[in-house]
Amino acid sequence: MRRLEGRRAIVTGGGSGIGRASAIRFAREGASVLVVGRAANTLETVDLIRAEEGKALGMVTDAAVEANVEAMVQRCVTDLGGLEIFFANIGVTGTNTPLLEQTVEEWEEVYRINVISCFLAIKYAGRHMTAQRHGSIILTSSAASLRANAGAISYSASKAAVNNLAQTAANAFAGTGVRVNAVLPGLVETQLTRKVFEDARARGIEGKLGHVTPMKRPGRAEEIAAAAAFLASDDSSYVDGQLLSVDGGVSSTHPYGRIAL
Amino acid sequence: MNGRLQNRVCVVTGAARGIGLAIADRFGREGARIACVDISARRLQPTVAELVSRGFDARAFGVDVGRRGDVHATFGAIETEFGAPVAVLVNNAVWARFQPLAEIDVDTVDRMFACGADGLIWTMQAAAPQMERRGGGSIINLSSVSASHPAKDSIAYSALKAGVVGLTRAAAMELSPKRIRVNAIAPGMIGTPASIAQFDKATIVERRAQMPLGRFGEPEEIAGVAAFLASDDSSYVQGALITADGGWTVAAK
Repeated sequence: MRRLEGRRAIVTGGGSGIGRASAIRFAREGASVLVVGRAANTLETVDLIRAEEGKALGMVTDAAVEANVEAMVQRCVTDLGGLEIFFANIGVTGTNTPLLEQTVEEWEEVYRINVISCFLAIKYAGRHMTAQRHGSIILTSSAASLRANAGAISYSASKAAVNNLAQTAANAFAGTGVRVNAVLPGLVETQLTRKVFEDARARGIEGKLGHVTPMKRPGRAEEIAAAAAFLASDDSSYVDGQLLSVDGGVSSTHPYGRIAL
Repeated sequence: MNGRLQNRVCVVTGAARGIGLAIADRFGREGARIACVDISARRLQPTVAELVSRGFDARAFGVDVGRRGDVHATFGAIETEFGAPVAVLVNNAVWARFQPLAEIDVDTVDRMFACGADGLIWTMQAAAPQMERRGGGSIINLSSVSASHPAKDSIAYSALKAGVVGLTRAAAMELSPKRIRVNAIAPGMIGTPASIAQFDKATIVERRAQMPLGRFGEPEEIAGVAAFLASDDSSYVQGALITADGGWTVAAK
């Protein structure tokens, strides 16, 4: 089913991982996609979409900077003809420095990229979408927003802030027809988590990755993209302000063991 | 074009009307073969006839889901009739009455829990071995925002629907090694006659004003969520609860 036919979407963090998979999925569902990322691989995603007859544009920029977010919304409206979907997906992991030695500088950078980027997406996509009285904004959160020991502390706290933004922004947009939801991935191999996977492979324990989840495996970027496509589409038309866990069950059950990050 | 549930045998309980009917219809459009289950075979007939007229492979099975032996026999009959094991189970059937604590009686509580709690255990018990034989499956249980945000006179209903969340998570843990996913949906105010009848007019106006989306949901909007959870699009979603309430429960009132 092509559920996003004729719609225009911005996907940030689109050069790799969940963002790339989502941009490709949205295009396969019929959307025209503005793929945004900081690195040159952003344009490779555009090429991948065009190679399968999809419609995409690329923009290499930092999606946590206010002027850039304003510009990407403008570009999407001007060059793709509108904006119905914004997937705010950029993020950094923070470091696993012991808590007592962490710095304000590190926290500020994690919050800038993980939280302020979502605020800016909501602000500028929201201006456009509330005026047209429909739209879907999707924020990438994490299972780490709900549970300790699933990521760095600054990362976990920042993702909890993202959850709250999904709820408070949904409420702020009451009566406008604009929906805001968050998707909460568990462990997925992406640029952010590559080191975890590489370390596990080097130690010969790749099979242990994701073993704390009831599904006993890590997720794939395409599985998060499918959930994002659900939230982007009218199939979720009555879902608003929600936190959708896509984590193999790790957040809904007690831990099976400790996560080795 | 193949749908996301192409040729999969999907069981929907409480399929005669409302949300169950919307789910059965949506699954049909996704290519599913639908086993429509309801306590009343007679009430099912026009529903199934309508689904068949839309070109779907839909069949009727009358059973009281609260009766373990009958449920097992029905699931055996479903597999025999379709010639394939069950791939998807939607536990939507419910029997509910709303009474103050001071007045609620044994028969009401027993009947509500027999259908809405015991019934889920028996259908999951009967479906899981079939799903395991075909290499996996998806179970979807209908909870409610009443689980966390009780409405007036909903002492039994809230307990029932909170129980659905617990048994969903427990079943997710237990059935995950068999590649069976178990998730729940918590609808908010859906504009079916049964749910509208539950509230007085002032409550309905107040509720609507409290929802960010400013309107009651349609059964088809719950069917959209169910289609996601039934399909491989939710292949990494396990033990989750998806609330579809127009944003009603996100705000302090």
